[in-house]
Amino acid sequence: MTMPPQDLQPELELLARMKRGDEVAFTALYRRHRDAVYRLALLYSGSGAQAADVTQETFVHFITRPGQYDPLRGTLAAWLCGVARNLARKAAGGREDATDPADLADDSAPFEQHVDHDTPLERLLRGEVAQQVRRAVAALAPHYRDILILCELSELSYAEAAHVAGIDIGTVRSRLSRARAQLAQLLAPRFPDAKEAVS
Amino acid sequence: MNTPLEPGQDTLLDLKMDELKRELATLSAPASLEGPLLARFRSTRPDIARPRLWWMPPLALAATIALVTWMIRGPLPTNQPLVSLNPVDADAGPFLALKPLDRIAIEPGATVVTTQFPRALLAEWGLPVAPDRAGEPVRAEMLYSAQGEPLAVRLLN
Repeated sequence: MTMPPQDLQPELELLARMKRGDEVAFTALYRRHRDAVYRLALLYSGSGAQAADVTQETFVHFITRPGQYDPLRGTLAAWLCGVARNLARKAAGGREDATDPADLADDSAPFEQHVDHDTPLERLLRGEVAQQVRRAVAALAPHYRDILILCELSELSYAEAAHVAGIDIGTVRSRLSRARAQLAQLLAPRFPDAKEAVS
Repeated sequence: MNTPLEPGQDTLLDLKMDELKRELATLSAPASLEGPLLARFRSTRPDIARPRLWWMPPLALAATIALVTWMIRGPLPTNQPLVSLNPVDADAGPFLALKPLDRIAIEPGATVVTTQFPRALLAEWGLPVAPDRAGEPVRAEMLYSAQGEPLAVRLLN
């Protein structure tokens, strides 16, 4: 997933124009970020319709509260992803509630009951490998899946992911490491010959 | 607890993740979202673009225009009577300026005096006089300056 360029100045100028009511500036910002927000919402919700709703709510939030974005704390893309992530998790209800790491000592067991085997996203993804990976990502514990989506699939920096998730960078690193290990464990039986091919 | 991945496993996982990223990169937000969002933006724009006291500048401009118009077109303040208050003058003709109007306008202490003089005097002010009536008296109102200089004249009959 490609994120917008890191040179913030042009984007901040667009944001300033948008705050003054410039429709062209808003349209430019929307078109620049809509797909990243939609894809992130798809990964959290697994449904195209829900992802569209989350995308719309995210940009309505942007329209009505643009002052909440603080350029000193990260890019606009990261902020929008954070809004979308919170809305998607809220829509998903208790299933996506953040889990206290202390309660997750036995986190090697995948949350198979959360695996959605036939979501609309599965139908959107044409490749067999992509579908398998998507299923495995959905099977991760929510707090691991959260960081994996933010850092690996939405390409937020560790600092941005930490800010979005409300945790420190060290926790982001450890959760990401564990998420990858759990994901590899989940994928191993689905690609039995792959490990031998790589090694 | 999960143990860290071995290098081979790490690479394998990256390859699988790349596959998912490539597939995701082909997905786009529905085009139908843009219209309602733009409408929403337009509906909030007036509150953003228009401050609460937006009516103040137009009101100040209108007041300024009205004031300037009144100053230009309103009656000139005069402290001297340019016309006689005598009721018999109501039907008389207009005053004929004998001096430039701008000078008459600024003349302080001008007064109107009803008088009678020979008709031949009109010729000195450039007015037409029939030779056969040159000796007849004429009744007129004269506007004099404070120094007694005739400024304007109005013939009464």
